[in-house]
Amino acid sequence: MTKSRLTPRAKGTHAPPRRFAWAQVSVAACFLVLIGRLYQLQVMSGEYYMRKSADNFVKELELPATRGQIRDSKGRVLVDNRPAYNVYITPRFFNTDGLTKLKKYLELSDDQATALEVKIASKRGLDRFRQMLAFEDITRDQMALLESEKNDLPGVAVQAVAHRNYPHGQLAAHVLGYMNQITPEELADRRQRADTLNYHLGDYVGRAGLERQWESFLRGKDGIERIVVDAKGQRKDSAELETLLGGPQRSEPQPGNDLVTSIDLDLQEATEAALAKHKAGAAAVVEVDTGRVLALASWPEPDPNVLTGRLTRAEAAALNDDPLRPMMDKALRENYFPGSTFKIVPTIAALEDHLVDPDAIITCYGGLRFGKRMFHCAETHGKLDLHFALAESCDVYYYELGQTLGLDRMARVARDLGYGEPTGIGLNAESPGLVPSMDFYKRMPGGFQKGFLLNTAIGQGDVKATVLQVAMAYAAIANGGKLWVPQIVERVQSPDGTTLQEFPPRLRRQIAASADTLQKVRSALHDTVNHPKGSAWAARVPGLDVSGKTGTAQVGKNHKEGAEGDENNSHSWFASFAPSQKPEIAVVVLVEHGGFGAKASAPTAMEIYEAYFHKPHYELPKKKRPAHQDEEQTAATDEATTQTAAAAAPSGEWH
Amino acid sequence: MALTAFRKLRTKFDWPLFGAILAIVAIGLVNLYSATRVAPKGLYQNQLVWFSVGGVLFMVTAASDYRLFERLAYAIYGVGIVLLIAVLIGGKTVKGSSRWLGFGPFGIQPSELAKIAVIMGLAKLFAGDPMDLALRPWRYLLSALALMGVPMLLIMKQPDLGTALILYLIATTIIMVVSLQLHVKLITLGGELLVGTVFFLFKLHGYQKKRLLTFIDPSLDPSGAGWHARQAIFAVGSGRWTGKGWLHGTQNQLQFLPEHWTDFPFAVFAEEWGFVGCAILIGCYLFLILWALNLAAEARDRFAETLCVGCAALLFWHVFFNIGMVAGILPVVGVTLPLISYGGSSLLTVMVCLGLIMNVSIRRYSY
Repeated sequence: MTKSRLTPRAKGTHAPPRRFAWAQVSVAACFLVLIGRLYQLQVMSGEYYMRKSADNFVKELELPATRGQIRDSKGRVLVDNRPAYNVYITPRFFNTDGLTKLKKYLELSDDQATALEVKIASKRGLDRFRQMLAFEDITRDQMALLESEKNDLPGVAVQAVAHRNYPHGQLAAHVLGYMNQITPEELADRRQRADTLNYHLGDYVGRAGLERQWESFLRGKDGIERIVVDAKGQRKDSAELETLLGGPQRSEPQPGNDLVTSIDLDLQEATEAALAKHKAGAAAVVEVDTGRVLALASWPEPDPNVLTGRLTRAEAAALNDDPLRPMMDKALRENYFPGSTFKIVPTIAALEDHLVDPDAIITCYGGLRFGKRMFHCAETHGKLDLHFALAESCDVYYYELGQTLGLDRMARVARDLGYGEPTGIGLNAESPGLVPSMDFYKRMPGGFQKGFLLNTAIGQGDVKATVLQVAMAYAAIANGGKLWVPQIVERVQSPDGTTLQEFPPRLRRQIAASADTLQKVRSALHDTVNHPKGSAWAARVPGLDVSGKTGTAQVGKNHKEGAEGDENNSHSWFASFAPSQKPEIAVVVLVEHGGFGAKASAPTAMEIYEAYFHKPHYELPKKKRPAHQDEEQTAATDEATTQTAAAAAPSGEWH
Repeated sequence: MALTAFRKLRTKFDWPLFGAILAIVAIGLVNLYSATRVAPKGLYQNQLVWFSVGGVLFMVTAASDYRLFERLAYAIYGVGIVLLIAVLIGGKTVKGSSRWLGFGPFGIQPSELAKIAVIMGLAKLFAGDPMDLALRPWRYLLSALALMGVPMLLIMKQPDLGTALILYLIATTIIMVVSLQLHVKLITLGGELLVGTVFFLFKLHGYQKKRLLTFIDPSLDPSGAGWHARQAIFAVGSGRWTGKGWLHGTQNQLQFLPEHWTDFPFAVFAEEWGFVGCAILIGCYLFLILWALNLAAEARDRFAETLCVGCAALLFWHVFFNIGMVAGILPVVGVTLPLISYGGSSLLTVMVCLGLIMNVSIRRYSY
């Protein structure tokens, strides 16, 4: 102990040095900063942080609502839901060993496995503890396999969910539509518009057809359950913690409503079976007295079960690159030249405005020289009047008629019949078609040329129409001039079957054509099928009383037909209704590149009629039809006219 | 001899100091009970054992005459350095740093004890002849920096940035408070700042740098280091005036707080006891530190004075850094809260510190 090194400070001789006081002041100042900061956090912003901490532990579980079903007119299910199994992964507990096993069990490609790895690696912080959807809709066998290997697959869970199901496969694919997951952009957009349907990431949303158009009726309302979770996302069931929640903890999901459509399952099946004999085409079957759509088909068509869910890139590419365009709704969205089916328009225009004598005879030599061009006819018809010009579909007659009528007169009648504007079915963004007028050509670079009159009169040139438009126009001819709005949804009903909303037939307008005019047109359409000279005579079926009009819309260089499907072949049309005297349904068939109307489309339409009238299991709709006294009358006149016309024709020419 | 020492301990006992310590210990035990409810089993019992050991250590440290420590100061410092080297060679590696030396079931962190060693060493250094100190300040200063620097480098090698920082702050505080000329102190401070900047730019590990940068701009890493800090702030803020109640802190009970029994027990306390509880706790600490500085001013000799300043600095920087970190005004570095945090080494260090303060207090008037 070397005391000399110690330097005792004499107590009380002088005040303690200032430096300690400075140190004390500094300490106090620093602690004041801490207190100030705590005051700011706890007192000034306390409520804010209280909410923040509540957001941490309160988790809202989504209780998904069951989506409504879509049924046919007899209540048979067209679209429903089935149980499916989804695979969820919690990244924190998942390992590469598990990935190898998953890859084997789920038969994943290297790309899929890599994509999953990247997705898992991208999760950070708390997200690593949250379940993420890895695979949708695995098979039952795969589910059983995963369940049995559960212990070797940490962080992997399989959950049962409801998945949209189309039990009839591709049947009526374009009418029904399909669904897929909502994108984050759409979600943000809907949130911005304060959308009441309340979508969450991963929800399915209708993308086409009825699924899209009636989304708000079908979707229902998701329920919510509020639970307490810890930092790992694990549910904490304790009464003490539940008091933290306050407020209601569970709101039950409200299931979506069902749609009952006017589609008839059997007729739709028959229509598609008939259409499927061709490479590509479309057909519409419409009830002439209501405008209700009984069948609507576009061929080929995708399977909505494939589109709804795990659509691989290769599958999507195959659908989009297919030259037969399965993703295109050829009944509503595609414009076609209506071809000779459009001849009803100049016919009505001529009769209504009394511009030509229907009995005047024109001779067809197989073509008409107009200026420097030759306008061809399908064959050399010889002498004919208006009636047989329509029934035999003579182009030369209509070339002359077109010149007499002028463009705007034809356009007026066409628009009146519903051409050139959407039918109003409200599905798949239907095309309005096109009816050229003088104004239209004035706006075009080349201006109007007289040759357009000739082309327009035979449904070529710039005239465009959809299959459904033609069907509505022919239904109007059949029912005495009522142009209906085509309807496909008859009513909306709640899951327990109570009708919530009914949609009665909606008349668009009564077309400006006299009963006599319509009768003359119907009579010619009757002879088209039932007179030996008629253009569809070859396609007639004994026992079926069909009236109709063939069409051969030229789209390539072939004037004569080649093999079906040749892209230079004309599109084949048949627009019709039956029975001739008391029409019930209108059927329009279009076969792409099918050649002559009578050859491809008319037989297809006949198969549809057979299904409607003769199929033993097909029950005729027992609806009370409005009494058409005038129709009975005109039907009688019809026969008379036919006879007169036949008699007036030079003998030997027809028989 | 020993009997006299304990009689002295009894008669001259510093009750206000002891009262403040007891208050903080009580708060610490109550709070740790809540914080360890969701922790691995047995932590609370472990801590009780550490408290008993710490209590004995406190009594022994307070009772022994501090002149004994003065004589042994450099030896103690030497033992501290040896332990730091030992931990680098044979230490247990936890989360990438070798900080622990195992003794049976309990491990200790030599870096914690090194703080005491450095305080002892510096106290001994500045207890020399005041004339000499005034005449050759730079010689003393360089020795002081060397005494601080060697353990600091060894600790950074582990690496344990938080402890190295605390060590640096304690030593600097001592240098600032001992009787050196003002310009010497200012030049020292400036030089240290310069070295610190260079060190940050060139020697820091990527993750350490990131942590500091995240503090400056939390959006750099919303779910990593920043996430911990944010959850702690949610906990503190949601305590409001009076807290959510003991055992009812949701951030704590539902494990939204990271390592809340070692580095973040204050967040648990703030959440469950609110602003009022925090003010009381900080008040206790403030009293303790100001009291210790008073004792330094009144100390009988220079060794005791520096010893007291060093111990007060240790308490202050731990409290200030830990609460500042939890409250989001300082970066997240692993610094414990004295008497509140779980952990044996930290507790024993604090107990020895408090024992030394008590020791100086008892012996300030008589000899």
